Amino acid sequence: MKVIMKNIDVIAWFEQTKGPIPLKFRIKNKDESQTIIKIDKICFQKKEKLAGNPMIIFTCQSLINNVLTKYEIRYEINTCKWYLYKI
Amino acid sequence: MTNKPIIMHIDVNSAFLSWEACYRLQQGDLLDLRTIPSIVGGNPDTRRGIVLAKSVPAKEFNIKTGESLYSALQKCPTLTIVAPRFDLYLKCSNSLIKLLEEYSPSIQRYSIDECFLDYTNMEQHFGDPLSAAHKIKERIKNELGFTVNIGISNNKLLAKMASDFQKPDAVHTLYPHEIKEKMWPLPVGDLFMVGRATKSKLHKLGIFTIKDLATADPKFLQKHLKSHGILIWNLANGIENSPVIEENSTPIKGIGNSTTIPFDVTDRKTAHLILLSLVETVSMRLRNEKACTRLVSISIRTNEFNNYSHQKKLTTPTDCTNHIFMHACQLFNEAWKKEPIRKLGVRVSELSNNNFSQVSLFDSIDTEKQKSIDKTIDELRLRYGSHTVFRASFLQSNLKAITGGVSIEEELPIISGKL
Repeated sequence: MKVIMKNIDVIAWFEQTKGPIPLKFRIKNKDESQTIIKIDKICFQKKEKLAGNPMIIFTCQSLINNVLTKYEIRYEINTCKWYLYKI
Repeated sequence: MTNKPIIMHIDVNSAFLSWEACYRLQQGDLLDLRTIPSIVGGNPDTRRGIVLAKSVPAKEFNIKTGESLYSALQKCPTLTIVAPRFDLYLKCSNSLIKLLEEYSPSIQRYSIDECFLDYTNMEQHFGDPLSAAHKIKERIKNELGFTVNIGISNNKLLAKMASDFQKPDAVHTLYPHEIKEKMWPLPVGDLFMVGRATKSKLHKLGIFTIKDLATADPKFLQKHLKSHGILIWNLANGIENSPVIEENSTPIKGIGNSTTIPFDVTDRKTAHLILLSLVETVSMRLRNEKACTRLVSISIRTNEFNNYSHQKKLTTPTDCTNHIFMHACQLFNEAWKKEPIRKLGVRVSELSNNNFSQVSLFDSIDTEKQKSIDKTIDELRLRYGSHTVFRASFLQSNLKAITGGVSIEEELPIISGKL
C-alpha cells in the first residue's frame, strides 16, 4: 500500500451505538473523472489521536478493476472530513 | 500509604517540532521531521526569524533555540524550516493533559509542553512510580505520537531537574538520596532559577558546579545575591516543597505586548499607530483580568539592537484603551531619539482591581463613555473575531490593527518563573 492522503466524498451511515460506517466513496482521478468505489468489507477499524487530532481509521477491501484491493480510509473527527489514506 | 509525596515532571521532547512532525505524519507526509535537521521558526521575511524548536539532527549542527534563522542556516544550509502553529500545539498539549488525567487528579500545567503530576498514593492503582512512568511514556508515544521525558522525585524541583537529564524518550529518578551523585556534578547553570546573569556572578565567586553551590555558606550567598542566593542554595540542596496546584494561580503583576516590525520605523505617525495596535491587545487583556493599571511603560529596540524604555506613573488607575494609548504616545515622544525602530513594546503594571477607583478632579469627562465603548468593542471582538472592528486610522496603512500575542493566547497557560 502507498500513502496518498486524498480527500474523498463518502456515503456513510451512523449506527446508534457506533460511529460512522462508510458504505461507498468517490474519488477524483487525475483526468477530472470520478470513480465510485463500493466498500465491500471493513476489515477493522481503530481510533488514533496522533498530535491530539482524533481520527477513525478503517481498513477496508473492495473489488477494484476485478482485483481484490485493500486500502485505508480515515475520518478526521474535528473537521468531519474523509480521506483515502493509503491504497 | 506513604507520606512522602511523589511528583512526576513530564516534559515533551522538542515540543513544537515533534508535534508538527507527528501531525504531518498523520496527514500522510512520508518524511518525519524529527529524523532530519529541521527547526520550527518564524518567518524570516517579516524579520521574526528565530529558532523556536529544533530536531535532534539539527542539534548536531550546534543550532540553538533562540538564535536567528540566518545564523542557523549558515550552520546548516539544508535545514528545513517550518512555521509555528499554535492551535496545533494547544491541541497536542490538551490531549497530553487528558491522557495524564487518567493517572492522577492533580496535575499542574507548568507551560504548554511541561506539567507536574502528583503521583502520591497512586501506587495501589498503577504500580510503583518508575514502572508507571514508563507506562505513561509508552502510551504517549503510541497514542499521541510524540516522545516525552519523565522525571520522578519527592518534590517539583527535583522532578524537573530529573526530566532534564538525558533526552529524548526517557524516565529518570532523582530522589533526595541521589542528589549527590546525580545532580551535584552538573554545571551550576543547569540548575533551575540559575540563568545567564546569576551564572556569571556565581562563576566570579568560584562556584562552578551545583555541588559548589550546595556546599557554599548560605550567608555568603545572601551577601552577594540577596534573597535569590538563599533560594538557589535551597534548590541546590534539593529543598523545595511547593504543592502541585491545578491552575497556575500566580497573580498577574503586569501585562505587556511587543512586536518586531517587518520594516524599520522612522516616522512618529507610524510608530504611534504600532503603539496603538499594541495597546489594543494590552488593554483588552487588562480588562479581561478585571484590573486597572497605574504604570505604563514603553520599550524601543533600534535597528542597531539598542534597547531602551521609558515609564510613568498615572495619577488615577485606568483600563481604557484611549488613556493608555495617550500615555504611551507621550512616553514615546519623550524617549525616542529619532533612530530607526525595529521593535516596539507596551507594558502596564501596578495592577489594581477595577471594581472601584478613585475619581480625580482632573479626570477627562468622558470616562464613562470610554468605558462603555471599550466594553462594546471587546464584546464584538470576542464574539465575531478580533478584526471585526478596528480604528479607521489603520485603513490603507498596511499595518495590523491589533498586534501582539497569539490568537489563542487566553487559552495558553501562563509560564511563570516560579514552580
